[in-house]
Amino acid sequence: MNRHLGRHRPIPATATDSESPRPYALLAEITYRCPLHCPYCSNPVAAGPLSAESKPRPLRRGRRTATANNGELTTEEWKRVIREAAALGVLQIGFSGGEPLARRDLAELIRAAREAKLYTNLITSGIGLDDDRVRALRDAGLDSIQLSFQSDESSLADEIAGARAHERKLDVAAKIRAAGIPLSLNFVIHRRNIDRLPQMIDLAEALGAERVELANVQFYGWAFRNRAALLPTREQVDRARDIATAAKARLAGKIDIFYVLPDYYETRPKPCLNGWGQRYLTVNPIGDVLPCPTASSAIPDLRFENVRSTRSRLDLARIGKLQPIPWNGMDAGAVPELSAKRNRFRWLPLSGCVADRQRREHRSGMRVLAQSRTRGRGIARNKFMQPTARLDIS
Amino acid sequence: MLLYPEGIVELNETAHEILSRCDGRTLGEIVCELAEEYEADRAAIAADVHETLADLQQRKLIEFT
Repeated sequence: MNRHLGRHRPIPATATDSESPRPYALLAEITYRCPLHCPYCSNPVAAGPLSAESKPRPLRRGRRTATANNGELTTEEWKRVIREAAALGVLQIGFSGGEPLARRDLAELIRAAREAKLYTNLITSGIGLDDDRVRALRDAGLDSIQLSFQSDESSLADEIAGARAHERKLDVAAKIRAAGIPLSLNFVIHRRNIDRLPQMIDLAEALGAERVELANVQFYGWAFRNRAALLPTREQVDRARDIATAAKARLAGKIDIFYVLPDYYETRPKPCLNGWGQRYLTVNPIGDVLPCPTASSAIPDLRFENVRSTRSRLDLARIGKLQPIPWNGMDAGAVPELSAKRNRFRWLPLSGCVADRQRREHRSGMRVLAQSRTRGRGIARNKFMQPTARLDIS
Repeated sequence: MLLYPEGIVELNETAHEILSRCDGRTLGEIVCELAEEYEADRAAIAADVHETLADLQQRKLIEFT
């Protein structure tokens, strides 16, 4: 998985900033287990701090956890989370991971979500999806499947995935279509495959996908570790944007193409999920309730509610607490920043250089974190205001 | 509201009035009904209906049959 924190299309502004958080989507990361080992995986890097070996190392890859069900929420616990999320006003659920198919109770969870009147989407590599399983998921009420591809052809795709997966994915796509489930494709775009965008779009068309997400890699988890190998050049990014724009126009009404902007070539950080915990919730495999999918790994010092904790119930007050301080520009007047002490957060008043509009749009503090960390020293407040604040590895 | 993978569209009143009538009725029938109900010019209503539905269709949120 490489979750895209700024991916979501704008929500029409029916809600004002002063309203309580009103999440409409739950991302249920039901397991971290996965048969693939993509170097851009956004799952938490289980290992401790980066070791300081000087010799070059191959790409580090996302990996499955050592113990199969280590700490994962049970079926009943997930069903309770689903019901509580629906009661909260959540309207749709994305089953993700890891590879959600690794859980044998997936169909049961989908059924529970449909019973709670949620729109259900499966975000998957497709590995492990045979005819019987596709039908079982459909019969449970699954509304949509988003299938990941690493490239348009098998040699590069399998190399990226660290597994012989591409041909199986093609087969799975056909099975999904045959079962009558709407199909979306997701490509995570990075330096190695970005020049093959036209072929990827062709593949989506050939497979009968209704939607394609061309998602520039976002640098969290394993992707952050592998950033030096994954970051495309500015020229590649410009070209890709033009290709995606042209394809979107050409295929309008046939395939909905969504191009996820790259992280490091914007003049400012992207709005993060339309505001932490405001519109989207994530529950990770062990039950932490997160305001964004990578909050727990990207910001080690923050603590989160867990659905297993006593009197646990998803409710608005708790979700409000997911934000370490009010951070919606109305009453906060502060943004998170790294203090000079490594990995320690403190909250500083906004300076005049950050426009009100940015505050309202909830610019991500996490981007600031990543850049400050990269530079390995104090606050780099102005860095993220500069054009092309690309990530330089020293 | 329209839900699709990882997204949502909140319809405004106009779009809602149009879409809630998309149950097998033809475009002409929908335009007629809306023109009557809102006592509005048929041509203007027809333009709104076409624009709204075309926009949703381009985004693969509806299909014409």
